[in-house]
Amino acid sequence: MLEILIYGAVSSAIYAMLAVGFTLIFGVARILNLAHGAFYALGAYAAYVFTSLLHWPLFIAAPLAVLSVALFGVLMERFLVRPLRYSQLAVLMITLSVSLAVEQGLFITFGSEYRNVPSFVAEKVSIGGVDIGGQRLLALIAGVLVLLLLWLFIQRTRLGAAILAVSQDPEAAQYMGIPTNRIFSVVMAISAGTAALAGVLVSPFLTVQPTMGLLPMVKAFAIVIVGGLGSIPGSILAALLLGYSETIVAYLISSSWTELVSLVAVVITLMIKPSGLLGRRAAF
Amino acid sequence: MKQLSIVDLSGAIAVVALLALAPVLLNSNYFTGVLTVCVIYAIWAASWDFMSGLTGRENFGHSLFIGAGAYTAGFLATVWYANPWYSLPTAVVVAVAFSLIVGFPTLRLRGPYFALAMLSASAIMQRLCLIFWEYSGGEEGLYGLDPLIQSPLHYYWFVLAVLVAAVAILTALAQSHWGLLLRAIRGDEATCQAAGINVTFYKIASLTISAAFAGLGGALYAHYQLQVSPPLFSVVVSITVIIMVYVGGIGSIYGPALGAIMLTLLTELLRSFGEYRLWVYTLTLMLILFFLPNGLIAPLWRRLTERFR
Repeated sequence: MLEILIYGAVSSAIYAMLAVGFTLIFGVARILNLAHGAFYALGAYAAYVFTSLLHWPLFIAAPLAVLSVALFGVLMERFLVRPLRYSQLAVLMITLSVSLAVEQGLFITFGSEYRNVPSFVAEKVSIGGVDIGGQRLLALIAGVLVLLLLWLFIQRTRLGAAILAVSQDPEAAQYMGIPTNRIFSVVMAISAGTAALAGVLVSPFLTVQPTMGLLPMVKAFAIVIVGGLGSIPGSILAALLLGYSETIVAYLISSSWTELVSLVAVVITLMIKPSGLLGRRAAF
Repeated sequence: MKQLSIVDLSGAIAVVALLALAPVLLNSNYFTGVLTVCVIYAIWAASWDFMSGLTGRENFGHSLFIGAGAYTAGFLATVWYANPWYSLPTAVVVAVAFSLIVGFPTLRLRGPYFALAMLSASAIMQRLCLIFWEYSGGEEGLYGLDPLIQSPLHYYWFVLAVLVAAVAILTALAQSHWGLLLRAIRGDEATCQAAGINVTFYKIASLTISAAFAGLGGALYAHYQLQVSPPLFSVVVSITVIIMVYVGGIGSIYGPALGAIMLTLLTELLRSFGEYRLWVYTLTLMLILFFLPNGLIAPLWRRLTERFR
């Protein structure tokens, strides 16, 4: 029972990090970023390169991995997405092609075999008789911390207020003197950074290989739809819901069926409440 | 609606005649195989275009229907040992069923739900094929299908006939009142709804038609390869089809079909690039998005034939 509680919390935290970034860039810039999974994969590979290949200490390697992916995200938004923002379809196409290009690039550089990243924390921690790898615990703590910081940033700072303003009405925000395009860059950096951080944190205990981004991204879609497109509290709630349902299904039935959980959740949500749990706008 | 002009008709006949005669002139089994794949991709591209090109609801998981059709053919052949000809209608039925399952909850909504749901559904189906390997054959898939027609050349002609029929039916639909409605939905959904058009019905119906042809193409592909495997469901297949549609010119049906043939032939030429092939593909897509947002083939054809109309 406690096992479900802890492992569910770990996967929820990782899903939440992915989903919040995805929903943030959609809510603020209306960019449906199909390259989000690529950021996650890039984060994991950056961690692999910096720690396993270059043997840099962790406290340099991890932030550097996150920052470089955030920079990649900003450059993508600036040079590939922004010129095509007139059409939603073009944005979808360009982000999808970036994601494929990244996947192929990783495949060509590193090959398709699994890569190992050394654990950041080697010790096992025992909570109430349940052994849990220190790395998983670290992922959980870091995830909660990052989401908390993000919330404080958006609610308490001037820049956060500007982000909220743009998400409510970009044109009005622009009239008030908020530099919308710069806000998009900031949000893209945050979004890519959190996805990369999730990738860095899971890299020691999940398999690192070129296609690793696709399925987590599909989960992030599901979470965002269940939680309501553009709603951050909604995605956190939905991430908890999905993380725990998957863990429970894995324990009670079999881990084979976990992939279906997100699909069923999406179908039920769209049938009953298409705007999602905490969606602000009606979807139809 | 607009009548089919003599110019368009003669152009179509010339292209079909060229495609039909090409394998006879070149007389190589390898080339016939390449052309068969070209024509099957053309069926997929045309079917994608009918739904997504006309209504503007972009389908990022066409491989769901392709894979569903192909796996139906695979199961019929390897589990029930059915006559291979049964697999064509059954594949259509199964693909339509899949389109209803995904289309019903997502297409009544506005926003990106349909695109996300299709992408997710195809990715998850690919996963499920690997997880339930006892039934689906896992990584290797199902093999040992019987060819529909023994002679590769005759099979190619059969597939080409299916393509011609598919393009003719889809074009006729697109030129009809029905197609006009679909285009109107792309223009302004709310206005259509206000005008008393059952928008949801038309969107779902056009998705089922699109899925039916994709599933048919999937079954034809399965009986050409004589095996089916999970990559048929992959996002790469969907994106390849979308790139073909883009190159051909979105919304014109014949353009995407020709785009598919052109790009598949190009892929054969690029075979020496090996693993860089997909890179070349994605790069093509990016260039087209930036420089030719209306595509290449259909606009070119319109420009060339302008003065004869």
